[in-house]
Amino acid sequence: MSTTSTPPTEHTSMPSALKFDIHAKCSTTKARASILRLPHGAVSLPIFMPVATQASLKGLTYDQLKQTGCMLHLNNTYHLGLKPGQAVLDKVGGAHKLQGWDRNILTDSGGFQMVSLLKLANVTEEGVRFLSPHDGSPMLLTPEHSISLQNSIGSDIIMQLDDVIATTSPDHARIEEAMERSVRWLDRCTAAHKYPERQNLFCIIQGGLDLDLRRKCCAEMVARDTPGIAIGGLSGGEAKEDFCKVVDTCTGLLPEGKPRYVMGVGYPEDLIVATALGADMFDCVWPTRTARFGNAVTPNGSLDLRHYSFADDFGPVVEGCNCACCTPRDKGGLGITRAYIHHLASKETVGAHLLTIHNVHYLLALMGSARQAIIEDRFPAFLREFFSKLYGDKSNSPEWVVGALRRVGVDLLAD
Amino acid sequence: MASLDTGPQHHETMNFTLLNQATVPVMAPRLGKLAIAGRKAISTPHYIPLSTRGAVAHIAHDIMRDQTTISSLYVGLEDFIETLPKKAIPPIYKTPTEPHESAIHKFICMPEDTLLIMGPRRIPPIICPPTNTPNAVAILTSVGFRHMTGEEYIGAVQKLKPDIVVGLADLVVGQAPGVKRRMKMVDRTHAFTMDVTEELYGEGVAEDKRSRAAYFAPVLPLENTQQSLYLEELEDELRPYISGLALYEAASLSIVPESLGELPRLLFSAPATPQDVLREVSLGADLLTIPFMGETSDAGMALTFTFPAPSSTAEPQPLAMDLWSSTFATDTRPLIKGCQCYTCQKHHRAYINHLLSAKEMLAWTLLQLHNHHVMDLFFSGIRESIQRGTFETDVQTFERAYESKLPEKTGEGPRLRGYHLPPSGPYQPKRNPRKYGRLDDAAEKYAESTSSVATPDAGANELEEHGFAEKTTP
Repeated sequence: MSTTSTPPTEHTSMPSALKFDIHAKCSTTKARASILRLPHGAVSLPIFMPVATQASLKGLTYDQLKQTGCMLHLNNTYHLGLKPGQAVLDKVGGAHKLQGWDRNILTDSGGFQMVSLLKLANVTEEGVRFLSPHDGSPMLLTPEHSISLQNSIGSDIIMQLDDVIATTSPDHARIEEAMERSVRWLDRCTAAHKYPERQNLFCIIQGGLDLDLRRKCCAEMVARDTPGIAIGGLSGGEAKEDFCKVVDTCTGLLPEGKPRYVMGVGYPEDLIVATALGADMFDCVWPTRTARFGNAVTPNGSLDLRHYSFADDFGPVVEGCNCACCTPRDKGGLGITRAYIHHLASKETVGAHLLTIHNVHYLLALMGSARQAIIEDRFPAFLREFFSKLYGDKSNSPEWVVGALRRVGVDLLAD
Repeated sequence: MASLDTGPQHHETMNFTLLNQATVPVMAPRLGKLAIAGRKAISTPHYIPLSTRGAVAHIAHDIMRDQTTISSLYVGLEDFIETLPKKAIPPIYKTPTEPHESAIHKFICMPEDTLLIMGPRRIPPIICPPTNTPNAVAILTSVGFRHMTGEEYIGAVQKLKPDIVVGLADLVVGQAPGVKRRMKMVDRTHAFTMDVTEELYGEGVAEDKRSRAAYFAPVLPLENTQQSLYLEELEDELRPYISGLALYEAASLSIVPESLGELPRLLFSAPATPQDVLREVSLGADLLTIPFMGETSDAGMALTFTFPAPSSTAEPQPLAMDLWSSTFATDTRPLIKGCQCYTCQKHHRAYINHLLSAKEMLAWTLLQLHNHHVMDLFFSGIRESIQRGTFETDVQTFERAYESKLPEKTGEGPRLRGYHLPPSGPYQPKRNPRKYGRLDDAAEKYAESTSSVATPDAGANELEEHGFAEKTTP
């Protein structure tokens, strides 16, 4: 087992099970429209990936999920490792067969879940040491374990185990150590990866909010030539300005010809800003989780449909939305009203299912229209329209949005 | 073939035809067809799917449309009339409708051709601590118990326009009524029926204001002799207003007066097994409500019986399979070999087992789809068997072929709601296991490590077995 970083020059190119073609680039911002061809079909980027944590997208059948246009979703390695477990996955023949999903799956490494367990966990060079929350026995999760599980899951994109710490951590030495260790762990993951010809291993850029560390990490990771690259360690409560600076810095250093995945991002405004900064892929549980609490994602922000004011609102969740839920009955949809969602919210699982359909569809469609705008080279105009719907008058635009978009040549405040 | 209009002029929208009445004696299985203008017709005997707040539990509207044959629904008015703190009028009454539209269809966003049957209460109803009064019945809304007057019910029928309305009855839920109470039940139900039919269809109502909902008059779960006055009134004075009968126990099937024999009979008896259902059909039930379908799905079980039963079974077969059982963990066969339901076509036992143990909502959706499909086939088997004239022997074969009870439930179902169980009183265990412990510091810390991240139910050894991590020596 190697515990020292080998010089990047010694790395040979890793086999890849994907093909990545950029269709168009925005002439103003860093946004790109591309196609990612994966073992289970082609995916249009930029993309939002909904999270089916335990091999099920929160009550939706996979035909309902396909109807939202989803081509790629996430499963969590940590959860699948516990239920149904590696032995079952091996016997059944992987996660696609388990859940009856013939499109693409991405799995995380299981390491992120450790952050939430950090009180119980201790990261060493060998791996993440933690006490079993159930019976207190000491356990060890290594990069090799993570990859072995992801090999059993058979996901189309697998993630390296990285040393995740909160971006808001004040301990600079620890952040640096985590970054360097993540690089070393990538090498161990690469070595342990059994099926590079059918599963794409993505590296994860770490380095906290320190842009120099991020630059250094980018150089190390890019040299290792993984099929795709993730920017990790964000969405942990850092200031949005810091988030944007990190994404902007990293995308500036990453090769054009590889997909870039910003992990854990799901608010519509974050997706759109990060797309402008040159990122291609995003995932988050927020749209599906918030649906279960009765919140609808709309162009004007998120609406809590449990509020009394919606009890007798007989309009669709979002006027003009093409999801099965909002489309009127005479156009082949279900014609679900806000009043009826209000009637079901937090009381019936059907209410959660209907709103989950809407929210997932809404975010997929949002990324689809961003993509179309990039292809037609009117993305800056798309940005203005999107943010004016979301915030009303442009003077209401948050500073971080205005600042981030200025970095890529769009001034929301200009006339 | 006997066919007749079941009501006078103003009920012409509903038609119930008995297809084998001429050939069979009274109290025998009957074949029929219930047709309402603009709605999908129902071949009887059939079950009426139960709804909860206007939806079939766990089945979203698009799944219902695309993956089931559900074309009728029972809705309980009590699911819709909680008064909100700031609004006196329940929102369902504000549903905007065109003159030809029904507000209840529109509020619950169901296709217009769905046949909707509305009754005052959910099926099965929860016991209400307040008792019924001479002019109101006790109901449970999502914000608590209250009374619903006859007047309110009449108003609801007029505004919501269900296709069929189940008449108001003074029923005692959860216990056998005493002698005095039984007399009150008859008197009150008699009075309700007179009032409600008069207000909905009576001479005093202008013709264009008369309700077009078909009225199913209650027959009380009492002996014939105890309600004879009321039944006579139904045969006589109230007959023009009545399009069907609502029954609350199978025994009532034998006391239906002959002159009301051609009316469709809707049964709310809560059968416990398919054998009970067969018995009710053999006594002449036309439309049945079957709460055990949803209960089976919630229990993580898939129904496995067919009618007629396969002839070659040595041992009685179980009526359902419990997908919680770990024997299915790697079983990639469909629930039932050759089953054409969505679940069996798309998924396997191992996935349902995983979904149940991961407490994923999709488990219940998939089981509901399978169980509804099994009941569709069960009822079409019943109808064909009656048609062939082999029903009686087919029932005997069924009783030999299958166990007499559904299996005991072993796993935890979905979160229990107020309408599943009466409110728990003092010293009663909680309905649902505790999920959060906000005010308890220790519990909070534990919840932090367990709620957002599903923490293993497994010990270290099991984790290691699952390949998730390895045990280290301390």
